[in-house]
Parts: sequence; C-alpha cells; structure tokens
Amino acid sequence: MDVSELKSLLLNSDPAFWTRLVALTREDERDFAELFLLSSWRKKAHARKLAPAGKTAKPIRLAILGGYSLYPLHELIEHLCEVQGTPVELWQGDFDNYISEIMDEGSELYAFAPQVVLLLPSENRCKYPGQLTDARELQQAEAKATVNSVLDLARRVNEKTGAEILLANFRLPGRYDLGAFRSRSLGSEWTFRKWVNLELGLNAPSYVHICDWEFLANRIGGIQASDARSWFESKQPGSPALLVALAREVTHLIASLKRAPKKVLVLDLDNTLWGGVVADDGLEGIELGDTSPRGEAFKAFQKYIRSLKDRGVLLAVCSKNDHAKAAEPFEKHPDMVLRLDDIVNFKANWEPKSENIRRMAPELNLGLDSFVFVDDNPAEIDIVRQFAPEVTTILLGPDPAEYVAQLQDCRLFEPKNITAEDAERTNQYRSDAQRKALEESVTDMDSYLTSLVMEGVINEFAAVDVPRLSQLINKSNQFNLTTHRRSEAEVLAVMNAPEYIGFSVRLKDRFGDHGLISIIIGQKRGDTMFIDTWLMSCRVLKRQVEEEVLNELARLAKLRGCHRLEGLYLPTAKNEMVRDFYSRMGFNLTAESETQREYQLELATFQPIPTKINIIRRAYEPS
Amino acid sequence: MNQAEVIAKLQTIFDTVFLEPVVLTPEVSAKDVPEWDSLTHISLMVAVEKAFGVRFRVGEVENAKNVGEFADLIIKRKSEA
Repeated sequence: MDVSELKSLLLNSDPAFWTRLVALTREDERDFAELFLLSSWRKKAHARKLAPAGKTAKPIRLAILGGYSLYPLHELIEHLCEVQGTPVELWQGDFDNYISEIMDEGSELYAFAPQVVLLLPSENRCKYPGQLTDARELQQAEAKATVNSVLDLARRVNEKTGAEILLANFRLPGRYDLGAFRSRSLGSEWTFRKWVNLELGLNAPSYVHICDWEFLANRIGGIQASDARSWFESKQPGSPALLVALAREVTHLIASLKRAPKKVLVLDLDNTLWGGVVADDGLEGIELGDTSPRGEAFKAFQKYIRSLKDRGVLLAVCSKNDHAKAAEPFEKHPDMVLRLDDIVNFKANWEPKSENIRRMAPELNLGLDSFVFVDDNPAEIDIVRQFAPEVTTILLGPDPAEYVAQLQDCRLFEPKNITAEDAERTNQYRSDAQRKALEESVTDMDSYLTSLVMEGVINEFAAVDVPRLSQLINKSNQFNLTTHRRSEAEVLAVMNAPEYIGFSVRLKDRFGDHGLISIIIGQKRGDTMFIDTWLMSCRVLKRQVEEEVLNELARLAKLRGCHRLEGLYLPTAKNEMVRDFYSRMGFNLTAESETQREYQLELATFQPIPTKINIIRRAYEPS
Repeated sequence: MNQAEVIAKLQTIFDTVFLEPVVLTPEVSAKDVPEWDSLTHISLMVAVEKAFGVRFRVGEVENAKNVGEFADLIIKRKSEA
C-alpha cells in the first residue's frame, strides 16, 4: 500500500485526501497494520483541521463492551465507520467488566446513552463445566442457561437505553483437540459453542443483530483467527486478521441499521447470464447448461439470481442487443433458469445503459439508489458510474465460476426478514412497469466519449492481418451491411487487385485495446466507389467508429478520383440493426426492393464528421 | 542487519504510526514518547513484525527497556527466521 500520495495531499491540505483515504480503506485485502496506518493518517488530517468536502453525518453513539480488551478493535471500528460515512462516537467498557457495566444502573455506560451497543461476551463463560460424558440433558440445560444469560444482558441494555444490540456469538476452536469425539458430546467446546450460537441466533429478539464471530473466524480460518500470544499479552479477542474481520462486520451492521437493502438487480446478458453473444452465436451457440463446465457456471449463476428473486429482489435486464434476439433465450433455451416472467423490466436496445437504468427507476417507482447493476464489461460499468452514479455497480471478474461468489459477497441484498410480501413484489412491479410511459433523459454522450480517450488506427489490408480479416468477415452478422463472406485467399485477392481498396480499424480506449473491430472493402467503378463490405464489431457500436470509417472512405475515394460513394444493404436474419444505417449516415436511398436497398452519397458536398476518436494512422499512408 | 540499520527501519515505521515526530535512538523508551501507550504499542508491534518478518515470543517485547534492546531482540529473532 502506497501512502505517499495521501501524505502529499494532506501536506497540501487538499480535501481530495478524504476521497483517497476512503478508496484505500475500502480495498478488501487491507490488513490490520495498513488499516491502523490509514486510521492514524485520518487522525492527522483531523488534527490539521482538514475537513472532508460536503457535510458530515452526525455521529452515532456506540458503546463497545465485552470480555476482551477493546483496544485496538475500537480504533478500527472508528476508522471504518467514519470512512463509510456513519461516524461513531465511542465509549469502551473495561476489560471483562461488561456484566457489572450492564447490571449497574448508575454505570458510565448508561450515562453515555448509547444508540448502538456492541457486546462481545467472554468465551471463557461459554464452556461446559462438567464432564464430556455427562447426560445430554444436563449439557443442553447448561447451554440454554448460557444463551439466556447473554440474551438477558442484551435485553437489559435495550430496555434501559433503547439501543440496538450487536451481539457477538462465540468462535469455535481451531485445534484438533478431542479428534473424532469432538462432535459426539455437547460437552466439548466445539459442540457446546455451536449449540449456544445456534440457540442465540434462533432466539434473539429483533433488536439483537448477531455479529457472527463463528462465521467470520470460519471464513478466515480457525487457526488464522486465533492468537494465543495476543490473549496472554493484551487480552485481544483474536489475531489481527480477526480484528479486521470483526471491525468490518460491525461497521457493516451499523450501516445496515440505517440503510435499506437494495431492491433491484439489473443484469447484462451476453457473457453475464450466458457465455458468448447470442446475436452472433445464435441460440444454439451460447454457452449455458450442463454440457460444458462454462455452461454449468453460467447456469449456476442464474440459479443464484433466481434465489435472490425468491427472497424478494426484483430482477431487470439491460442489454445492448436487439430486443427479439435478447428475449429469445428466455423464451426458448432449455437451460435458461431465468424466464421472462422473472424479469420486471427488460431493456434490450442500443441506448446507453445509464439511460436505460434511469428510465427503469420511475417505471418501477423506486429511487436509483435501490438499483444494483451487474456487467462483465468495464466500459458499461463505467458509463453507469458516470451517468447514473446513484446506482451501485458490480463488475464481474474474468471467470464465470466466481460470479456467484461475487454476488454472495456483495453484501447488498442481505434481508432483515423475508416476508411473503417481498416475494410477491415481483408481480406488482412488473405490471407497474407496463403502465408507465418512457421518458427521455439527458446523458451527455459527448463527454462520455471524450472520457474514453479513444485512439483509432486505420490500416490498409496487410498480409499479416489476413487471418483475422477473414475470420471477422466470416463471423460478423449483426453490423454487416452486405454479409459478403471471403476466404483468406479471397481477402488476399482483394488486397492485390488495383480497383479495390480494403482497410480495417483498430480501436483502443482507456479500458484497453479492442483490437481489429471494423472492415471495409470498396471497389472503384468509374467515378463511383462501391462499398462492397462494411462491417463492425457490436462491442464498439456508437463509439463514432462508423463516422470515422465514412470519413476515411470519402477521403480514399476522392484520392482515387471518385465523385460519390455507393452503399448496398442486403437484409439477413441477423443484420436488422443496420437496415437504416446508410440513411443515418447521410446517404440517399436510390433503389429499394425486397432483397436490397441501394444508396448514394455525393462527395462534392461531404464534410468529414468530427468525432472523439484520435486517428493516429490512416490507410495507404506511410506510417 | 546491525542495530543502527534496524533502528533506521524502525524510524520509518514510527514516522507513519505517530502523529508527532519522534527521533529514535537506542536510549529512547516508551515513556519518552507521549503517544506510545499500550494501545499504539499493540499496533506498532503488528507493524514491526510484518515489516521485519519476525514473530516475538509471549512477553519478551515488554522486557526490552528501550529502543536499543528492542532492536537487538529483532536481530535475535531475525537470525532464527
């Protein structure tokens, strides 16, 4: 972790310090030492009176008490809570003094008047005192007594203060002690604590929120979570890694007290719900289902999403696609888990996704801050972050096997209680959506395109590119005006024929290199340049590559003495999206029949179209 | 690593943890540094163990009377690593 930037921001009294501090703190892999360091920088900033921009929330009064030293756990909690935007004012109990602090009505705890209390009962009081071989009834009675005494403490604090109680349960031992016998008796620490934890969770009243220490320790590993030395030296609850996990959990629970769970999950389709691109690969070509490991992974992801729906989360679709093609798998694919019925709002079109999600909000009568958007494409995530910043976004990682885990760990859909009404909500919202009219809103597309920092390279056909050229010519279906297929030999023939021009476009942006994404073949027929082939990858649709291609075509045609461009549209089952493409680009329709449309563009009056793509090389020019 | 080198590295850790600058010498002890209380001590030790790749045994850090002895302890534990 590099804190030099943080340091210079602080020395310059730059409020951007806080943004950077928040970003560094949020990263999951921050360990104890790093978080402690960030916390000390936070305090340095306060000492220098460097205030964050905007208003700060009123602190929540949080009391921490328990059977452990609460230093430096409190430091992490204070830091994480402030960074999260729910600052706390802390009161800490003394080491292992929680019972008397709670029982004594005149204690400092009550003078502090906490709004939230974190109670970490001592694990030394969660042990079966008798023999492993005692009757199970005796052992159960003892466990029940332990549960009751803990819940009784929680009840007393709540009655006296009205505070919400974050109650830690008990961690399980990480050592082999007792071996196979461990789980055969309720008298073992392992089984006794498990039993107590179960009873605590199942019997806790609604003001108690379990801070699930057993789960947290299990998640990081029983051995990793424990640290005998730190107990003997300073009565720590566990290892530094456990302190971090506990502090993050407490911070999350405090935020959850104030913040409702998200309500809508907006899903991308291609490479999110299935592998591949349905419009290119076709219904049979997408990867979904039990015939391949990848297909299984996508199906498992859909099953998990379906379980979110069952617990009341609304599902929506937002895809750059032709609507009919996007809906087809939902209607016809045998391995689709999600069906159209499951989706309350389905938007498949070519508008920016930020716009589409903005439209969903009034249609579903929900604030944008209830939406979570999931996509595998960083550029789509970015456009939503920029133009619908209220929406929470999840960028899926490179491996679909991990998609489920990513959603399971996103912590956005954790229910307090699942009700029958929650499950019913889907139906209600779907009909709402059908009633409401759409409304246009104002994404500033220009500034988005500028922010992409795009660079284009236009190359005349070259031998080294021939395999890729031929591959794209034979694969591309949607943005393909004529769908003329050509083998590698035929591409070479075009390259060497003097009446032909052929060029390709490569595009890069700040998210990476899209590679070779557009191919054009022109044939000089007298003073006319006939556009034999114009195709493009749909990934870069509406990035102004189309405009740059037209500029280049016009330039090359003029250089070869042509006065006009002639375009041809040959309809297929898959290229509906470019039916009106030439009209949109300013061509005039000159002939139309069932099987084709012909267009012309006069070059005398043509002006190059300005774009946000920086063209760093043009075709047939010395590099 | 000799004692001076260890203290130089400790200095960078102290610089990040403490708000007020502290100049470390072998004679400096916790009571000379107002911010060096039992709380910051715990965090400081976590940072030191991580930075030097050592693990102290129970109770031995508090037996070190000053920074010089602490540096010697680091050298000793590091020699076993």
